[in-house]
Amino acid sequence: MGVPARPRTRNERAGADRTAIDTGILTNVGFYVYVSIVFALLALGFNLQWGYTGLFNAGIAGFFLIGAYTTAIAITPPTPPSIGYPGHLGGFSLPLWLAAILSMAAAGSVAALVALPTVRLRADYLAIATLAFAEVLRVVAINWESVTAGTIGIFPIPQPVEFNPPSAFLNAMVKVAIGAGVLLILLVVLLFMTESPWGRVLRAVREDEEATMALGKNTFLYKLQAFAIGGALMGLAGWLFTITINYIEPSGSFAPAITFSVWVMVIVGGAGNLRGAIVGAFAIYGLEWLSVQLKDYAPRELKDTIFYIRLMIVGTLLIVLIIYRPEGILREKKRILR
Amino acid sequence: MQYTLAGFRLSSIVIVAAIGLTVIYGIRGFANFAYGDLMTLGAYVALFVNMNMALSLVWGAIVSFVVLALVGILLEVLIFARLEGRGPVPPIVASVGVGLIVQNGIRAVATTQQWIFRVPFIPEIPIVPGLGFHWIRDLGTVAVGLAFMISVHILLTYTNLGKAMRATADNLELAKATGIDTKLVTYAAWAVSCSFASTAGVLLGLIGVVSPVIGFNVLLLVFAAVIVGGIGSPYGAVLGGLVIGLSQEMSVPLLLGLGASSAYKVAIPFIVMIAVLILRPWGIAGRPPPFARRVFFIEKILDAIGGRPGAAQDAERESGG
Amino acid sequence: MTERSEAPLILRVQDVRKSFGGIRAVDDCSLAVSPQSVTGLIGPNGAGKSTLFNLIAGLYRPDGGEIWFGDTRIDGLPPFEIVHLGLTKTWQIPHELRNMTVLENLVLGSKHNAGEHLTNLFFQPGLVRRDEKRWRQRAREVLRLTQLDALANEHAKALSGGQKKLLELARALMTDPTLVLLDEPVAGVNPTLAGNLMDLIEKLRRDGRTFFLIEHDMNVVMNRCDRVIVMHQGRTIADGTPASVKANPVVIESYLGG
Repeated sequence: MGVPARPRTRNERAGADRTAIDTGILTNVGFYVYVSIVFALLALGFNLQWGYTGLFNAGIAGFFLIGAYTTAIAITPPTPPSIGYPGHLGGFSLPLWLAAILSMAAAGSVAALVALPTVRLRADYLAIATLAFAEVLRVVAINWESVTAGTIGIFPIPQPVEFNPPSAFLNAMVKVAIGAGVLLILLVVLLFMTESPWGRVLRAVREDEEATMALGKNTFLYKLQAFAIGGALMGLAGWLFTITINYIEPSGSFAPAITFSVWVMVIVGGAGNLRGAIVGAFAIYGLEWLSVQLKDYAPRELKDTIFYIRLMIVGTLLIVLIIYRPEGILREKKRILR
Repeated sequence: MQYTLAGFRLSSIVIVAAIGLTVIYGIRGFANFAYGDLMTLGAYVALFVNMNMALSLVWGAIVSFVVLALVGILLEVLIFARLEGRGPVPPIVASVGVGLIVQNGIRAVATTQQWIFRVPFIPEIPIVPGLGFHWIRDLGTVAVGLAFMISVHILLTYTNLGKAMRATADNLELAKATGIDTKLVTYAAWAVSCSFASTAGVLLGLIGVVSPVIGFNVLLLVFAAVIVGGIGSPYGAVLGGLVIGLSQEMSVPLLLGLGASSAYKVAIPFIVMIAVLILRPWGIAGRPPPFARRVFFIEKILDAIGGRPGAAQDAERESGG
Repeated sequence: MTERSEAPLILRVQDVRKSFGGIRAVDDCSLAVSPQSVTGLIGPNGAGKSTLFNLIAGLYRPDGGEIWFGDTRIDGLPPFEIVHLGLTKTWQIPHELRNMTVLENLVLGSKHNAGEHLTNLFFQPGLVRRDEKRWRQRAREVLRLTQLDALANEHAKALSGGQKKLLELARALMTDPTLVLLDEPVAGVNPTLAGNLMDLIEKLRRDGRTFFLIEHDMNVVMNRCDRVIVMHQGRTIADGTPASVKANPVVIESYLGG
């Protein structure tokens, strides 16, 4: 976490979202809602991987990055290199829905590739391998300038709907609507999937993989599916992030801190609890958003410190929750079969 | 040539850190994700002594060594002892929490400014154009690395504590049964682990600058070294550290030759690590785990490619809860 | 394929080896199990019994040797395929799926359940519903058979040790096995429940199933098994009726007497 707040302030400074600065509390709340939804998608993906299947992914930021860059490259109009801007791969001007599919496909298939050699490993190896994978991707995004424009990042990314005259408020509301729609559809589909016999096998793998094998399940295949679908959801989160933030850069937005905050969200919400993951995302991102709001009122010497204090709170939450409430604030419910 | 020198320099630091990380990995059975930030903390403690108390860096390093050892024991008492027997994931999550607190605590207290240790100025000795040799930066790091390797060897081979640590890492229950005070051993392991982190952090600050992310930035390198060498094996950590440090720095001419940016060098250790994870998950120097579970698919592919019947069969079995 | 003996055997283990870090857990072990029998496997701790079960069930891969299940060679097959052939196992320490209900534990034993495949969920919802209904019915039947029906909607972790053992057996039965490997089915179970459990096994045997079980309780082995195989240091050292094994001097020396 910590991260979308910073691109946003940068973003405002860069003037990419010129009208967003003084447009009232509703626009600001809208921003809170759609960024929370981005996190909710990440948390849903991670919950499918860890909460349901027990695959501890420490490279969430990497799949998020793939989705975000796929979208940015797909939907931007041609941006010729200019003084001070190296340009990036792009100019395809694809529609948003197609970018969503591409992002999910890209992140999902990369996730499947990553999963092939790693999901059989013990949880700690898997965590290290996926964290390394995400960091390598970030190095590539920083250095492969011809595609990603390097640290400068990709901008301007067109708004989902262009209003005339430009209206930050309407833009925010459109983004909230897109995000809420996507989230609702996904929640329904995921609930259907996880409450099905298929989801039951995932939970069995989490509880005891050997026992599940002895019940005649190809556990490797289920782990692969869960990891790939979770990765695809993270890719979709990248899509939503890109079309709502309108600016992506590799240093902050896709740092490991993103991964860690998604962990907190899922732990708060309860592993194996989809609604909990969404509640967790809104709650934990709310903490960040509040700290951004408070920044304006804080005494000057505390202005920067407040971000660090927030991350320390996140760290403390991780420790306290994992010790005292590992099953989350909202527990997984018992499934009574009839 | 200059890459080899840089490689050895990096290797020395990675080795010190990897030994420290692998000691706790071996005894407590989890990957300490806070390790990078503990290295940073070590560097800042030394910096504080070095700057504010106007003592030499050697004193700083010694104070930092002791302080971090205490921090390590505190972490075990306050946090990780409560997570014993809960499998590998909860301690990882908690250690990430510790890392976030340490890293951002440093930012809050010491700001994000970059610092340089106050050490006597020694000019580089030019060897060939473009390549200088620096007493402290080059020889100092390697010498400290060697000294730590030797002291670990002595600790593990000749002292009762070291033997008890090895026995505990080998088999906790058996060690308990033979009357080893495993609690004491665990505290000792934390002290060793974190004090090594402090020294690695000081060395990192010495070859570059001191900033809140110096440790975190090399954390994955250290993990890679531990995995390549074989988790829980200090000798493996030495080997892994060498492989990782040298492969990163010596890949630079290769990358430049291919027309790629030298910044990609940081990816090389991970490629090595992934290769090891696929082919030999217990590491180069490690022993295969006592219990092995079959691996499907990948194994079939590997067996088909390499004609190695059953070679990849012994993937690591889930241990503990 | 090697020649078949006159009486068809349901399980044949031939010269199977498995080492862990230089220690030979199973060392050129050979044995056979006849269909519709209750065969006991005994031996001192560390004789390699549990390892052998894991090798047969496909959880470990043998270093050498052959394992035949009926006419199919199963060493090298992944465990789920072996289960589909009709061979499954239980554990000494119950591997119950802790945070799932007893009924869920059982339904997971369903074979080729349409709803466990992602594509069917979306493209064949009717089939998924029918299959799931059928398997739940079957699970309830097995629960009645094992007298666990009152606990159907309890979390598996809430069960007592003996009930967990029963759950393991019930779950194994859901896969409709012809051969079940039971690792100490009555260890730590109270005598009444243990008796019921062995009665159930006897009943299932009459229905045509075969049981191969590791057991330390000599009462169970001597009274309930048709045949007993003795393992010591990774090998079989004796094989015969309970009475003959009990009288075998080699066995007495290495195991019963030691």
